[in-house]
Amino acid sequence: MRKNRLLLLFLLASFLLSACGQAQERSSPYRIYLISKSTSTEFWRSVFAGANAARAEYNVELTICGPETEEDYLGQNRYIEEAIENHADAIVFSAISYTENAPAIDAAAEAGIKIVVIDSDVNSSRVSARIGTDNIQAGRITAAAALDTDAAHLSVGIVNFALVSRNGEEREIGLREELEKDSRVERIYTVNSLTDHDAARMSAISLLEEHPEINILIGLNEPLGVGVAEASEELDLGGRVRVISFDSNIRCIDLLRRGAVSALIVQNPYAMGYLGVETAWKVLEGQSFSPDRLIDTATSIITRENMFTMEGQRTLFSFG
Amino acid sequence: MKNRGIRMSSLLTLSNLAIVLLILSGAVFLFARTYQQQLIGTARTNSLRTVTQVSSTVNDYLAEINAVMRTLEEEMTDAEKRRTDFFDVFLRTRPDVVAVSTYDPAGNLSHCYSNLGPPTGTRSDGINLSLDLQRLFSEPDGYVSAPHVVTFFQDVYPWVITVVSRLDLEEESGERWIALDISCSDISSYISDSGVGRRGYCYLIDTYGNIVYHPQQQLIYSDLKTEDSVRIASLEDGSYVEGLVIYAVKTLSNGQWRLVGVSFLQEFLTESLRQLGTILLILAALVLLAALLISAVMSAVLSHPLRDLEHAMAQFEEDADRFNYDPPKIAVREIRHLSVSFRDLVLKVQQLMKTVREEEINLRKTELRALQAQINPHFLYNTLDSISWMCEQGKNAEAVEMVNALARLFRISISRGHELIPIRNELQHAESYLEIQAHRYKNQFTWSIDAEESCLDYLCHKITLQPIIENAIYHGLNGLVDDGEILVSIREDGEDILFTVTDNGSGMTEEQISAIMQKDRSDRAGIGIKNVNDRLAIYFGPAYGIQIDSEPDCGTSVLIRMPKVTEEADYEKK
Repeated sequence: MRKNRLLLLFLLASFLLSACGQAQERSSPYRIYLISKSTSTEFWRSVFAGANAARAEYNVELTICGPETEEDYLGQNRYIEEAIENHADAIVFSAISYTENAPAIDAAAEAGIKIVVIDSDVNSSRVSARIGTDNIQAGRITAAAALDTDAAHLSVGIVNFALVSRNGEEREIGLREELEKDSRVERIYTVNSLTDHDAARMSAISLLEEHPEINILIGLNEPLGVGVAEASEELDLGGRVRVISFDSNIRCIDLLRRGAVSALIVQNPYAMGYLGVETAWKVLEGQSFSPDRLIDTATSIITRENMFTMEGQRTLFSFG
Repeated sequence: MKNRGIRMSSLLTLSNLAIVLLILSGAVFLFARTYQQQLIGTARTNSLRTVTQVSSTVNDYLAEINAVMRTLEEEMTDAEKRRTDFFDVFLRTRPDVVAVSTYDPAGNLSHCYSNLGPPTGTRSDGINLSLDLQRLFSEPDGYVSAPHVVTFFQDVYPWVITVVSRLDLEEESGERWIALDISCSDISSYISDSGVGRRGYCYLIDTYGNIVYHPQQQLIYSDLKTEDSVRIASLEDGSYVEGLVIYAVKTLSNGQWRLVGVSFLQEFLTESLRQLGTILLILAALVLLAALLISAVMSAVLSHPLRDLEHAMAQFEEDADRFNYDPPKIAVREIRHLSVSFRDLVLKVQQLMKTVREEEINLRKTELRALQAQINPHFLYNTLDSISWMCEQGKNAEAVEMVNALARLFRISISRGHELIPIRNELQHAESYLEIQAHRYKNQFTWSIDAEESCLDYLCHKITLQPIIENAIYHGLNGLVDDGEILVSIREDGEDILFTVTDNGSGMTEEQISAIMQKDRSDRAGIGIKNVNDRLAIYFGPAYGIQIDSEPDCGTSVLIRMPKVTEEADYEKK
């Protein structure tokens, strides 16, 4: 009896000591994949900068990959497969297609990978957290920027994504909702374009030629925004057509300074990248998030008036 | 008895444990407190030292920038052509310089030298963030700006800090101010990787609390991180502990910037606390182990022997005669002494008990012998009176018979000093007595003897039957109207011999029986029933003795049980 007690105590003590020793040991860093919609736009470069800041802060192993264009969802699915093969712990994902990326994401979740969605949603129930712009709200803000004019009669031309993308759909919903409330708005035309500034420019030009009454032109993401801004510049519509673009592409900033663009709707891609990786880390550490509640990164309107205030500089120009 | 109270070893162990744990936790508490104080002190010192180190390198850098500025100011007195050559070299050797520009008194850009191309950007809106005319009103000799973007290039907006200085040239040159735009990245190389601990860092603020440079500037610009810089700008130089954060503030030599070092006490604390916890755990385990060992030793040398001793005492109480005690070999000295004393005590008590018992037996034997030797004077007187009366009546034959019986009675009573006599003789003694009494009572009763022949050679105490018969005559037959009958029988019963004396007299009540069995006969000399019974018990043990069955008006039956004895020596010693 006594002997047993002694033995038990000894075991307990050694167990506790070993537990202590184990706690001291740090496990190898988490392997996180960031799969973007594109690698070429400033928007995404800013996302990557944010993600890298979080990588340094949380000591994770970060792999950033993404297709060339914002239409290549198959390319994205290949990256997801690669992440599964390389035993990633988490994927920070932005979907090109709401529907077509879903099976690959489900498969990744099946393989035990945590999914954090940034910027653009995917139709999967296995997502741990969602981070990005509240796109309906972004649409409403866009409308507010568009309607900030004295003109009595308004015709609106919208250049939106060609592919089924949640972002584009929701932005247009919010945008139209607000536009339709304003009695000055007479017509709203939408044209879908590939998310490439050349394609968008052409679409915008043909839209403007077809409907010369258009006096508000809106591009609903960075390439589309650059495209409509270039179209406005090319047709020299600066004074007549109010151009609203998305995000802080340097072309758009220059055009904003010159007056070819009236306002920029600027998202916070750096925060998306940072929060995406940070949240993935938190999920891996056992924290739980509500995937139905979007973690909203702020959206702001930048005009010629506020672009060089401290706030404007911070929003438009990334630091170092 | 067993489960009541706490065992001594447990008590000792528990009290040991409690004291040790109390002292241990007290010591640990004090240690932890002192340790924490010291830790905070160390952390503050470290933090301050780091900030001082970083500030001295930043000071050097600022001094260098100042030197550069002086050089540039001087260069501005040169002719246009020579300036261009100078800046060709200068801009190549100073990649951190984004642009050098000069302004006229109205704040219009006069010249701009930069690797980023011609300053075309301002043409669209005239905005230039590199010169703050408002600020030059209050600081006419120049200033160092907060971070901002350079606005006069096309397609590129680098973040810079601008050093503005007044130029003392002749009025007609048109240049009043020179602005040096320096990329923030160079400052970052001095500040970024400095900090106390893994998470600690430093950042630069100006006297208004604007962040000049922060290692995570973009996080702050993206509203993902906030820094309490405005409040910190109001603090004196020194170190401050706020909750678990240590701030160290140091003003730089230019008087416009301040370096803030942030470090996290928690980092040090958790690391040290874990170490402390480990030490504590090991200590606690050791203490427990020691306590158990102590308890085991205590149990072996103290409580176990004590319990054994206690048990032994209880056993001794129960059966002192056959008790045997060995003192324990392993025990503390006190208990060993106690045990040895107890053993001696036991031996002494046993010795005493033996002596007392022997003395008692001897006393009783002597007493009995004395009684046996006595002759009841009444009996003798009455018998002699009867004989005399017979002689007077001329009943000589009867008188002779009576004298013979009396003589036989006495002879057997004396038996040459033997204690035990053959049953045959005892029977003769009983017969003689019955004969004499029959004569005396004028044949009021008849008697018969029924003895198994095999029993007659065994031995028995002399005068065993006579007291029983006497009792039968006096208490049973005396005063009986009808003829009395006395039957004496002797037979074997296994290893025992049974004597039975039965009469048909008036019998006895329970009270009378117990009186006879317990009372010494003080009124008359000679042996009584109690003496017979005592003698049997003393000689042969409690299993032997007399048993009386009596029923009033029906008679009495007295049963004597004794073992078969063949030699006197067998029992004499006991």
